[in-house]
Amino acid sequence: MQAYWCKLLLVALAVTLTNCGTTSVKIESSFPDVVFEAKPLSAAIVFTDAFRSYVAQPNKDTQIDIGESQTRALTKTFHGLFETIEIVQSAEQASDQVDIIITPSVYEVQVATPSDNYLNVFEVWIKYNLELTDSQGQVITNWFMPAYGKTPDSFLASKEKAIKRAATVALRDAGAKLVLDFFRIPAVNGVIKQKNDSEV
Amino acid sequence: MKKSSAYFLLMAYLLIIVGCAATTTVDEYRPTAEPVKLMTNENVAILGRRDAGHYETDREFIQCVSSKMRSSEINVLSEQRFVDAIYPWFEPRTAPKSLARLKRLMSAESIQQRVEELSIRYLVWLDGSTQTMDQSGSMSCAIGPGGGGCFGFTQWNKLSVYEATVWDIHELIERGKVRVDSEGTSYVIGAVAPIPLLTPVKNDACTSMGNQLKQFFLTEDN
Repeated sequence: MQAYWCKLLLVALAVTLTNCGTTSVKIESSFPDVVFEAKPLSAAIVFTDAFRSYVAQPNKDTQIDIGESQTRALTKTFHGLFETIEIVQSAEQASDQVDIIITPSVYEVQVATPSDNYLNVFEVWIKYNLELTDSQGQVITNWFMPAYGKTPDSFLASKEKAIKRAATVALRDAGAKLVLDFFRIPAVNGVIKQKNDSEV
Repeated sequence: MKKSSAYFLLMAYLLIIVGCAATTTVDEYRPTAEPVKLMTNENVAILGRRDAGHYETDREFIQCVSSKMRSSEINVLSEQRFVDAIYPWFEPRTAPKSLARLKRLMSAESIQQRVEELSIRYLVWLDGSTQTMDQSGSMSCAIGPGGGGCFGFTQWNKLSVYEATVWDIHELIERGKVRVDSEGTSYVIGAVAPIPLLTPVKNDACTSMGNQLKQFFLTEDN
């Protein structure tokens, strides 16, 4: 009987120690509308199921569920960038009238904690790939977009809370990067020019 | 016996008071002698600088300074409300670091309109951090069947350095700067129970910064 209790205690201890090192967070932030004069273009944004439910695993001890939040953040941003947008689940569902089809995907997620970077900050990097195609499915370009967020390490604040905050800052940064640089992509400029020329 | 106990208590109290005091220096700089007027219908937004690589002006400090400044004469808009209303132009990647950049930003009609809607007159940029330095001493704690306790002595210094830069968003000029340096030593004495004698360095820096910024503006009442 005593041996049974010892075994049970050992298993409980092992389970506790295994869970001790794992950080699993879900980002549930809301994002504001962007202040930007939308371009007279129509775009289809392809949010695949994989993108909508994406859970990043930057290392074996950390899991960040960013799927829903990144979909919300990018929807708001693209609403601000284009006069009309349609949200679809696959490129085939996009209408023929759209000027551009954008398929975002997560290329890589990295996390650094104070024990990694020897600084009093938690950092999150998200690298996105935006595949831009025309309404016929022809690839215009692939644009890699990095986003970065950090938050200070606070006394007695949990690691989960700090990573959540840093990931939210990174998602806001993705919106900022899009607003700042999307229309500077030479291929996107080409699409705008082509549209203007065809209208003239 | 009673006299010696009272003397001992007084000495302990003095040690706590002296040990927990922070030294704070406040410097203010204004380019002109012109008063910085703030009307009751105008707001001040206090924002943290977050572009440095190795530190970040923490939100707690900004909230603390905002609450110290907020009064019946001074309306302070929360940082989150301001950055959300003008998203994404005051994110770490996009926030203007100079007046030239602010001028360029304010030339956009949509941004100017948002600033007017929020009745923002002044932007106060806070930049700085609190660091722990010179940690020394040691303490060990143990627990056993007969009880437990901590023995030893440890101490550390904390240094808070924060600078506030005030921008006039109507005139698009810098109105001045306030700098606060606060330093203090904290101790923990382990005599069976650990006795912490903590110096509120960051809190002192916040109070000094808040009070100085409050006096910086000339409100209708003063």
